[in-house]
Amino acid sequence: MPDAPSRVERVLNLLALLLDTRRALTREEIVHDVAGYPAQITAYRRAFERDKETLRGMGVPLTTEPIGDGSELGYRVRPDDYYLPDLGLDAEEAAALRVAVSAVSLGSHAGEGALLKLGGLADEAVAPIASLPIAPALATLFEAFRTRAVVRFTHRDRLRTVEPWGLTSKRGHWYLVGFDRDRDALRAFRADRIEGDVELGEPDAFETPPDFRPDDHVESRAWLLGDDPAVTVRVRVDMDHLDTMLSELGTDAVVEDDDGDDRSAVVEVAVTNPAAFRTFVLGFLEHAEVLEPPAMRADVVTWLERVAAGAPGAS
Amino acid sequence: MSPRALAGPEIQRILALVPWIVAHPASPKPEIAARFGITVEQLDDDLALVLMIGVPPYSPGDYLDVEDDEDGNVTIRLAEYFRRPLRLTPAEGLALLAAGRALLAVPGSDPDGPLATALAKLEDALELPGLVVDVGEPGQLAAIRDAVAHRRRVEIAYWSAGRDELTTRRIDPEVVFFATGEWYVGAYCHRARDERMFRVDRIRSVEPTGEHFEPGATGFETGDVYTPRADDTRVTLELGPAAAWVAEAYPTEAVTERADGSLEIVLAVSERGWLERLLLRLGPDARAVAPPDLEALAADAARRILRRYGGADGADRPARARPDARARGRA
Repeated sequence: MPDAPSRVERVLNLLALLLDTRRALTREEIVHDVAGYPAQITAYRRAFERDKETLRGMGVPLTTEPIGDGSELGYRVRPDDYYLPDLGLDAEEAAALRVAVSAVSLGSHAGEGALLKLGGLADEAVAPIASLPIAPALATLFEAFRTRAVVRFTHRDRLRTVEPWGLTSKRGHWYLVGFDRDRDALRAFRADRIEGDVELGEPDAFETPPDFRPDDHVESRAWLLGDDPAVTVRVRVDMDHLDTMLSELGTDAVVEDDDGDDRSAVVEVAVTNPAAFRTFVLGFLEHAEVLEPPAMRADVVTWLERVAAGAPGAS
Repeated sequence: MSPRALAGPEIQRILALVPWIVAHPASPKPEIAARFGITVEQLDDDLALVLMIGVPPYSPGDYLDVEDDEDGNVTIRLAEYFRRPLRLTPAEGLALLAAGRALLAVPGSDPDGPLATALAKLEDALELPGLVVDVGEPGQLAAIRDAVAHRRRVEIAYWSAGRDELTTRRIDPEVVFFATGEWYVGAYCHRARDERMFRVDRIRSVEPTGEHFEPGATGFETGDVYTPRADDTRVTLELGPAAAWVAEAYPTEAVTERADGSLEIVLAVSERGWLERLLLRLGPDARAVAPPDLEALAADAARRILRRYGGADGADRPARARPDARARGRA
């Protein structure tokens, strides 16, 4: 062979050897057999470390086990752990997955990577229809959810220990829904608000209740994300803006049978976070007015008076 | 630089390509190249590498055998250990499922069609848990998607939140997509004589005009919800610590941090109403400092709303003096 083997060639031969072997092989056996490793001991050790890292980074289940009298480590890749099971997809189903990966933008190339393994990319470009960016933490959360491993992560400056019961995307955000062990309660966490790494515990650490629906536990309406006791707020809204308000308030809002005035309507909604509701209602400018309770109305008026007086800016 | 970044994609492609060719003997090179997103030249390079893969004792029969017939069809043999592709990584499994569930959630998708059965098989074979994706369905979405699909010019009643007005416009709807949690339609607007992005939930009605349009060369992209234009007003805002999130949430053109921890940012703003809302929401935590005609924007808007509450002076009186105005019991 005139040319020295390339790194790609060396790694592929390493993988072929590790998959083909019937027993775990020592590093020295491996570098002796596979072409392309340097002869010098520190150099081949470093090269072997890099190659292992490359394989594991791609998801190759490279395992180590003690061999002989246990004083040496051996390496192998068990084919059953390596091989993708046959999904039994027919041509139409495979095509449907290709279309989905092209049509939905997730902000990563992982979908294309999956398609390559399933036999190829989309035949032609498909117009994108949805963008649902996946936060980096989400793949780890998904693996924890799949294997029923408890996760630990920092969310809004607090360390959480959570049994991941489900993942869901609502209003363009991905959420982890799970049982927060410290708070002893079900909680939803926006995945893009998780800071730093997610730590995974042992698999099969909990049971998810049957028929659990994560989307039932995600509240994207900010005015219901408070710890205050719920109060019923009554808002008068101009008729032109009623549909918009109702579409945002959701099905819990009640339109009162008003006095026949067709220029405006009164809407009732439960609020547990008054500040968030103030933001919501100010979004309607002068087309909406908080009627009751008096404290909520006074809060909006006080806020507006401060703005009207000229905010002092950053103080 | 990590070794993964150097060698990873090429290795991963070869590990996917070999099992496919093994399972599909005598496939034409252009088809293989297209499936794996490469040129025929790159495929030839990959196949040259494949010829070098073998296992001990590395006698001729221990190497992968690539047969390239005179018609350019490829067959690979002796690849027992590479007969199946590598299993999916968690990120790949998630991406496939998320994309599939999202597309299936788009109103109008067939809940029992090939995509649904493909996802069921995927979840089953790989023991993947279910994901629930909700992309909503604003009232006029079906009508808008229908207009896009058939290139129908339509007349819409649209509430522009930015300008706070209900307008009627003729539009040529080119694309419809879901991004940042909302459905949008990108269209040529005959009223603006330019391309515009409309939020579908703010479209009150869609009426056919009986006309069709020719697709234009549009620059809409998914997620391209707001692109600053050259003629947008550049507004300078002072943000207190509680409002610092604004610098992250919107495409700012400049951010300066001051010694006291406050920020000064420059934002491209196309609609005054949008800025009004933002400043009303931020209240005392933010202030427009330039251009001069916007310095009083928030205060003016606050006074306008206060009038509805009973007076520009802020006196809290019932806005409507009707006896049944449900403001009983207050002065």
